[in-house]
Amino acid sequence: MAESIVKFLETWSPIDIVLIAQNFDRFLWGALTTLELTIISLLVGGILSIPLAIIRAGNNKILNAPVWLFTYVFRGTPLLVQTYLIYYGLGQFEWIRETFLWGPVLSQAWYCALIAFSLNTAAYTAELLRGSIVNTSRGEIEAAKACGFSRAMRMRRIVLPSAFRRALPAYSNEVIFMLHGSVVASTITIQDLLGVGRWLNGRYYLAYEGFITAAVLYFIIVLLVSRGFRLWEKHWLAHLYPQDAVKTKPKKGLASFRI
Amino acid sequence: MSEAAGDHAALEVVDLHKSFGEVEVIRGVSMSAHKGDVISILGASGSGKSTFLRCINLLEIPTSGDVFVAGEKIRMMTNSRGRYQPEDIHQVERLRARLGMVFQSFNLWSHMTVIENVIEAPVHVLKIPKAEAVEQAEALLQKVGILERKDYYPAQLSGGQQQRVAIARGLAMNPEVMLFDEPTSALDPELVGEVLKVMRDLADEGRTMLVVTHEMGFARDVSSEVVFLHEGKVEEQGEPRQMFTDPNSDRFRQFLSRTMQ
Repeated sequence: MAESIVKFLETWSPIDIVLIAQNFDRFLWGALTTLELTIISLLVGGILSIPLAIIRAGNNKILNAPVWLFTYVFRGTPLLVQTYLIYYGLGQFEWIRETFLWGPVLSQAWYCALIAFSLNTAAYTAELLRGSIVNTSRGEIEAAKACGFSRAMRMRRIVLPSAFRRALPAYSNEVIFMLHGSVVASTITIQDLLGVGRWLNGRYYLAYEGFITAAVLYFIIVLLVSRGFRLWEKHWLAHLYPQDAVKTKPKKGLASFRI
Repeated sequence: MSEAAGDHAALEVVDLHKSFGEVEVIRGVSMSAHKGDVISILGASGSGKSTFLRCINLLEIPTSGDVFVAGEKIRMMTNSRGRYQPEDIHQVERLRARLGMVFQSFNLWSHMTVIENVIEAPVHVLKIPKAEAVEQAEALLQKVGILERKDYYPAQLSGGQQQRVAIARGLAMNPEVMLFDEPTSALDPELVGEVLKVMRDLADEGRTMLVVTHEMGFARDVSSEVVFLHEGKVEEQGEPRQMFTDPNSDRFRQFLSRTMQ
């Protein structure tokens, strides 16, 4: 029985499943690299984006101008170009090759991709968050003022927690874009998920096997990510859905007090 | 500053002016509230009564004039561009914390539950230990009759409930004076009563309150003093019974006949 299945797969299947199975561990390693790059750059970019967004939302013109330029340049040019500029471009400068950063960081493709991705997502996230900060209810800010909150405290306790929540649905798109964008890594020698597909194609001249496997794995990751965000939104944005919340239940099971 | 604290008015405003551009909205208003006073501020829309209230805790920066909270003057200065502004924002923040404010549109923090709204400022501004703040908040929520909704979010509550939470949030700071900026104007008519009842209870327990309102019944029956503003000035002020039965000024008489019908 098992033999006939293998035989069928080897002779009749339009796709060489056996080859995929044989190399499946490579695909999993590739997926791991993709996830690693995406998650770390989202973390770094996310942390960078917070001060940038606060500056962009404020009205300090001197600080605002360079941040504006940064976000517009990084959102206005392709991620591939940014990655090339960092990976191929920086090495042209003698003085950069002489810094201590060159050996361990800037000459490594992985770090170059990480830097490009982090800056790119920082720019997008900063603009996203800026919109969210600017749209914070004026009344809620006034209430915080009236209670004696300092400016920094208002930002930390009222504006940002509320802005993060409202930015969450749009941010889930950014996460998925970043995941898709990370294929750029495969163009600078990194064996990410697409990189493995390209390797398979290059080695066996079989396009479907590598690319479809990569596509399916990307698809599964995206599915899980968007599921995760859906759950997160449900928990974190409960306060924005009055009707729904009354129908289900308030925080911490106070069901017995419902109307 | 040598006087004992008890000798000071809880709140004193001296000759306050406020302009928006060319338009002078408040044209020299003075007012003082002693402990236990409930002062209702009446006036037609556009008379500047909300602006006046917002100038007290510097949500609007007055153009000139002084505000004293429990005898302490909010230090103001004129900056290099000729604008009147607070000298020390930290002092302003400290004194704001001693004035509770209730807004027309409630302004509860939407991402926090009811109890989180009430403990937020005591914990983060007054630095009260959280357990103590929770205990105090629950007592206040009990007092305004909404303890059973303490884990709800503001959007899950009716306007009247939200406003009662907002009152509890103001009280949680244990303020010298509570400022109410048209607290019932955004409410559906059937919800006005529950908020007024809470405010009445506060007045009965001797809270010092400044209330900008259109609720003539509240002004007449609950307040110890009524101030009628007209075009940014105090047109008439006095003891409510007397003012409502025998107004001195024609303007207040007209205002009454328009609003009481």
